[in-house]
Amino acid sequence: MKTTFLILLNKIITFICRIFGKQASVFPASIVRKMDNDILTKITYPKYVIGVTGSSGKGSTTSLIAHILTTKGLNVVWNNTGSNVVNGTTTLILNNTNPFNHKMKCDCLLLEMDESYIKQTFRKSTLTHLVITNITRDQPARNGEPELILNKILNSIDSTTHLILNADDPFVNRFKLFHQGEITTYGIDKTKYSLKKPLSNNVDAAYCPICHSKLKYAYYHYGHLGSYTCPNKDFARKVDYLATNVDLENQKIDINNETYNLNKDVFFAVYYTLAAYTLCKVIGLTDEELKYALNEKMLESKRLKTYNFNNREVEMIESKNENNLSYLQSLNYINNYPNKKTIIIGFDNVSRRYKYNDISWLYDVDFECLDLTNIDKILCIGRFRYDVYARLINAGIPEDKLILVPDKNEIKNILNTTEGTIFTMVCFDMTAILKKIFMEGQND
Amino acid sequence: MIKVLHMYYDLLNLYGEQGNILALKTFFKNQNIDIEIDNLSIGDDIKIKDYDIIYLGSGSDENLFLALEDIKKYKKELKKYIEDDKYLISTGNSFLLFGKSIDDHEALNIFDYYAKTNSERLRCHSFMQYKDLSPIIGFQNRKYVIQNESNHLFKVISGYGDNLKSEYEGVKYNNFYGTYLIGPLLIRNPHFTDLLIADITLKNNYKYHADLNTNEYKAYYEYLKNFYEK
Repeated sequence: MKTTFLILLNKIITFICRIFGKQASVFPASIVRKMDNDILTKITYPKYVIGVTGSSGKGSTTSLIAHILTTKGLNVVWNNTGSNVVNGTTTLILNNTNPFNHKMKCDCLLLEMDESYIKQTFRKSTLTHLVITNITRDQPARNGEPELILNKILNSIDSTTHLILNADDPFVNRFKLFHQGEITTYGIDKTKYSLKKPLSNNVDAAYCPICHSKLKYAYYHYGHLGSYTCPNKDFARKVDYLATNVDLENQKIDINNETYNLNKDVFFAVYYTLAAYTLCKVIGLTDEELKYALNEKMLESKRLKTYNFNNREVEMIESKNENNLSYLQSLNYINNYPNKKTIIIGFDNVSRRYKYNDISWLYDVDFECLDLTNIDKILCIGRFRYDVYARLINAGIPEDKLILVPDKNEIKNILNTTEGTIFTMVCFDMTAILKKIFMEGQND
Repeated sequence: MIKVLHMYYDLLNLYGEQGNILALKTFFKNQNIDIEIDNLSIGDDIKIKDYDIIYLGSGSDENLFLALEDIKKYKKELKKYIEDDKYLISTGNSFLLFGKSIDDHEALNIFDYYAKTNSERLRCHSFMQYKDLSPIIGFQNRKYVIQNESNHLFKVISGYGDNLKSEYEGVKYNNFYGTYLIGPLLIRNPHFTDLLIADITLKNNYKYHADLNTNEYKAYYEYLKNFYEK
């Protein structure tokens, strides 16, 4: 009876919030969970309860899985608002649950999940499948070190969960040493973009977790992701679904001798496509169904937020502070653009989760890989602009490419002295400020 | 030519510590002095005495203990190196390697301090006093506290000391600098780095030119303005 009441209450609060124009993804459950913290244990879940977690790429992977499964005709409930913490997940589940029999009204519950919150959200046996995209240094002030993230995930599941692992990441591959349940892996074959050496020394998981010998890499894709093996054969990358013939220019990859489209011409699109493919194969989709969803009904890539500023295109790339892989993906994206460009980098606050303003992570981002050929200028903005500036100088970027922007009101004027497409690689706080500037620019 | 060793570069490099190596490159370049950097780790035959500066950064617990097992074979050389007054800079948890123990693990025992796991992880911004310099900026993200009675490096202005009661942080003996501050300390504290650079420069018979107008100084003063003076 109480559960029925709480599910109804969740729906009513959501309804009222929406009347007032609020998204209400987190608030309803924050009330309901105060009355029953274990409400989620009383729900009857659908056949598939799929989690997607990892330091980066989980949002894109989740969207693509949702697209494939809905294209097949399944009724999928998923957190497309990106609200991946406990209250967000709870609101979503209760809003899609029948208040009288407490059964979820869908074939599949699909959740992008913050690795720290899986345990607080579900009992160990709830997730039927968990996709782990990668584990890298991410928000160290919150997560400490990557090993702790791995342990958090391990403590959140049991052998009933089928793991879908990115075997290119030796950290993620460690799950096979501990997990008693089923495991399916994916990875990317050597490509023309592969590296012989990592870009820098900040490589996680460089040693075998069993014999502690240094892992030998045949090639790197980026960061510590690549093809590796322990010289003593104690630990190796074994891939069930391998992407081959990666062709970013034509946005195509092969998996199991079939060709699939990528919806973006960037390397991490290969990873999220392959992760989504692997999960869908595991739950029984056929090659035909996958080809139909990925090739014929291709998910339109969420275009980066683009604006027009004085007849110049602006592309806003969200770069997550404290996550070197997220920044690296932004740098790769900008490097791929072949024409004249101007870049904006900077932040006022490191995190919105906590007040620490540690900037160590700036030195884990490989700004050294930035191809300067077509870069006109790089604007350093925000409260930490001097730190960003010093970082870029120490990455070997010449001073005449850099502009310190002392006042955000000056961004517009300074941009008018620069050339080319404008790329912003900023985090949450600057996104809103820049958006406002560019929106005004559209109206000028 | 100044020879620098980034020791356990692939294990103890968790919080952007390669920034400290970049700092040495930049600061010596500003003095027109060539430096050579060796990145060496487990499996390499390291000639400790060949270096003018040895640097070690932070690592995950797993990596710290891998480094601990390996570094023991260099104990004698490291002790002599420190006694010879050469530069060894160890930031984050790597400086625990030089004490007596880390929990139940025997460490190098070059110094008397020892480390114990604290009941909760300690994270904070820190400002430290070193001699009469303006504050040292740092960040801590630590699992261990240490007991240390002597050879203090910093006096705590704000943030944690060696342990929850101590008003001192880190260890200095000759030119051994050990601190639990993490990250690119040498970039963020150009005034401190310049002290070391000046000393090494003069000892090696080069001329030293002070330049207080570098980008690193600008970033340092801006940070103080935003977070210390407020």
